[in-house]
Amino acid sequence: MLTFSHLILGLFQALLLLAAAPLVSGLSRMVRAKLHTRHGPGLLQDYRDIAKLLTRQDLTPPNSGFAFRSMPAVMLTTVLVIATGIPMLTRFTPVAPIGDLITVIYLFALARFFFSLSGIDSGSSFSGIGGSRELTMGVLVEPVMLLSLFVAALLAGSTNLGAIGSAIADGHVRSATATVIAALSFAYAIYIELGKLPYDMAEAEQELQEGPLTEYSGPSLALIKWAMALKQTVVVAWFVGVFLPFGSAPEMTVFGLLFGLVAFAIKLVLIFAAVGVVENSVARVRFRLTPQHSWVGVGAASLAFVFYLVGL
Amino acid sequence: MIPLSLLIMSLLLSCGGAILCLLLKHREGDIRLGGSGVGIAAALAGLGAGLTAIGAGQPAVLDAAGPYPFAHFVLRLDPLAGLMIAVISLLSLVAWIYGFAYVREYAGRGVGAMGFFMNAFIVSMMLVVAADNGFWFLIFFEMMSLASYFLVIFDQDDEAVGAGFLYFLVAHGGSVLIMAAFFLMANQAGSFDFAAFRAHPLPAPLDSVAFLLAFIGFGAKAGMIPLHIWLPRAHPAAPSHASALMSGVMIKIGVFGIVKVGIDLLGASAGPAMLGWGLLALAFGAVSSVLGVVYALAEHDIKKLLAYHSVENIGIILLGVGTGMIGMALHQPVLAVLGLMAGLYHLLNHAVFKGLLFLGAGSTIFRTHTKDMEEMGGLARNMPWTALSFLVGALAISAIPPLNGFVSEWYTYQALFAAALDGTPLVKFAAPIAAVMLALTGALAVMCFVKAYGIMFAGAPRSHHAEEAREAPAAMVAGMAVLAVACVALGLLAPLVAPVMGRIAAATIGTAPVTLAVGATLLPGDAQQATLSTPLIAILLIAMAFLPIGLKAVFAAKRGGDRKVAAPWAAGYLPDQHMSASAGGFAQPIRMFFAPLYTMRQAIAGRWTGIAHGFERVVTLARRTEPLADRSVIAPIAGAVDASGKWLQIIQAGDFRIYCLYIVAALIALLALAV
Repeated sequence: MLTFSHLILGLFQALLLLAAAPLVSGLSRMVRAKLHTRHGPGLLQDYRDIAKLLTRQDLTPPNSGFAFRSMPAVMLTTVLVIATGIPMLTRFTPVAPIGDLITVIYLFALARFFFSLSGIDSGSSFSGIGGSRELTMGVLVEPVMLLSLFVAALLAGSTNLGAIGSAIADGHVRSATATVIAALSFAYAIYIELGKLPYDMAEAEQELQEGPLTEYSGPSLALIKWAMALKQTVVVAWFVGVFLPFGSAPEMTVFGLLFGLVAFAIKLVLIFAAVGVVENSVARVRFRLTPQHSWVGVGAASLAFVFYLVGL
Repeated sequence: MIPLSLLIMSLLLSCGGAILCLLLKHREGDIRLGGSGVGIAAALAGLGAGLTAIGAGQPAVLDAAGPYPFAHFVLRLDPLAGLMIAVISLLSLVAWIYGFAYVREYAGRGVGAMGFFMNAFIVSMMLVVAADNGFWFLIFFEMMSLASYFLVIFDQDDEAVGAGFLYFLVAHGGSVLIMAAFFLMANQAGSFDFAAFRAHPLPAPLDSVAFLLAFIGFGAKAGMIPLHIWLPRAHPAAPSHASALMSGVMIKIGVFGIVKVGIDLLGASAGPAMLGWGLLALAFGAVSSVLGVVYALAEHDIKKLLAYHSVENIGIILLGVGTGMIGMALHQPVLAVLGLMAGLYHLLNHAVFKGLLFLGAGSTIFRTHTKDMEEMGGLARNMPWTALSFLVGALAISAIPPLNGFVSEWYTYQALFAAALDGTPLVKFAAPIAAVMLALTGALAVMCFVKAYGIMFAGAPRSHHAEEAREAPAAMVAGMAVLAVACVALGLLAPLVAPVMGRIAAATIGTAPVTLAVGATLLPGDAQQATLSTPLIAILLIAMAFLPIGLKAVFAAKRGGDRKVAAPWAAGYLPDQHMSASAGGFAQPIRMFFAPLYTMRQAIAGRWTGIAHGFERVVTLARRTEPLADRSVIAPIAGAVDASGKWLQIIQAGDFRIYCLYIVAALIALLALAV
């Protein structure tokens, strides 16, 4: 059951992640610059960007309305709420009623709903197409996410993310092969969700994932940039919490939490470094070919499911 | 006996309302006021009947022996019937409130008739779910189909009449199958009473036959794929408040029928065959949900889009019901209750948000005079309340937490998960696939409703009418507001609602209730499996929202807080209205990626139009054969009569002296005979 200290832990880790998110996206930018053998921006560049944007003026298109104005707040809020439910420093989910695999997937849909809607609401054709593509990616990715997590959940006997993570950490899963394949297909789905090459380029403002951002400026843009950095971090934390829970605290002790924090930071840096290497060594895939790729994810997740059924 | 007396009161009021609507034929203002007033009173009484029936432990039974032994008039209000009556009443309450202003659109085109058929429709739906005798069930089922048929063809244009004809065909094809299923059961039981059906269960192979017949028959009414073809044509043709009732409630009677036959009448005694029934429902549910939403995405007509979403949601409800049947077959009462409860909860939720969306669509059509989304746009500015209600409905149907659609889908997932955990190998294989289908459906539904809300309400107006639109009349806004509040309440108060649904499911199956909520936390029978708390999600969302809103406010205050308006970026060209996102363009990627499914729809639709064409050919043939009898039998007789008439004319020369001569001749002849 949810206790007060768990709730505090959940809020703490959400705010911690919020504070660290621009650092993570700064790291991505640094890795890319290094791989391009450019000098590139510093690690703290995204903090500077956000701070500068916050002091600028907000410009809105004449026909935009409620959906356009509320989107930055809705998006940041939703991702923060998801962050309270993902096991990061601990093995269990801090706020258990949110750390359910179905709830998390559908909370992401809330963010996606408003993100894409703002694209239409801005009245710009470019934003509209961006919104449509964002949703299409959701259609292609969500089933893969659900199936791979569902297989892991069946192995653990619970849909709670913390329970799945604990079962994997303790080796209580019946089929190791199925777990590994499920982890791989989930990693693939997460990678698409990150909005990196070859499927997207989150940094290029003419690209899909930032399509709906075309018309934003000033504090609104700052909030969205922050929210998107946070979303990337949360999505990776989601993967880490379920499939790589090693090093996190099984109980809530001060030492355990500190150790968990260090382990979590190391895992995050390693994964983002690896993601940086992948995204800078591939070329952009044409949008209409994306389903062919996502079928690979479906296939991998199905394979994990078959291995689970057979019990290998 | 309170539920029964309330129900009878509601029925009598509705009948009175129907007669009133007919009597006041030409005084449309009075019909609007009187019809809506009586309708609201009837709906409130019905709501009371439904809620008290859910609350009461024992089913209330009214047994009025009719003149014929097979037509025993029995009304039985068990919790399941109570739920259905409550749903029907809630939706009809809203439809009457909304209709008070909405029927002005139909002024001079028979508002009285519309009121009559609405009342007849509501009464027959209530009687169908309450009837406990196969004969009366079928009678009321037919009444319901007929009343709704007349609502579908109300516009009297070609599209409406064509849609009505297709609906008529499918509805009656369905009732024939249901009739066959009831005859099978009545043959075994020796009576048409449902009580006798329960007491004398069908033996092994026959019960599956009866279930299949009923499943297809009720499935046609529910609109599951591939029997859905009438639905996207008939629902848009009806007036919007009638569409809300048809889509929100009537198709649920199909699901109710499947539950009634599969679980209530046959389920208790069914053997291992029931596992097959459950899997069948699961398969039809999965296919209907995915295809329903895929087809919805391609629509530009808002009412057609919503109608296809009804197909999708019927699929989701069937996933729950099917899992419940699987649970019964496997003798796992927790799974059975969980599955059925998920289905029933979604049934209630879908009634609420689909009703809301149809009313919202009706309001926009009322103001813009078009069903085409491409002709709307930017309505949120001029119709803020309609937009807000529609947004709530769109979020709820997309299963966005913490609204009601999410809660029931979460329970459906949990039921499927529980089935996958402890089922037989076949169930272990099928349940996760159904869950993936549900996930795909959810993602597509989000896309579809971003499109619907975005194209209709967001951005710039796309037509003159959209630009000039005003907020809908107060009564229409009030009707939508009731349902929007219900969407939020059924989501946030889920810890109170879910146990009630669980009790209804347990009572229908006949097992002990399952723990579905502890405090403000929802759980699927076992807290180890999962937990959910919609109130907590809502609180956290509100609390966390202070952070970004505060940040923006602080910096806006520093700057003086003014916003500047700038035209959207158009790659250096002048922005033009035609550049903004369109309904077709928005869904284009999905149309491209799912192209085979759209081809399949053409094939299915072709089959059905083939059947409809077949009927047309029969009619033409009948028309051609009709004169045959004329020519061979009637024409000769008529010819002979004519000819003899002509011959007789010779004696009618027109001179009165000759007529006198005839009289004299006749007299002489008679005298001669007498002598």
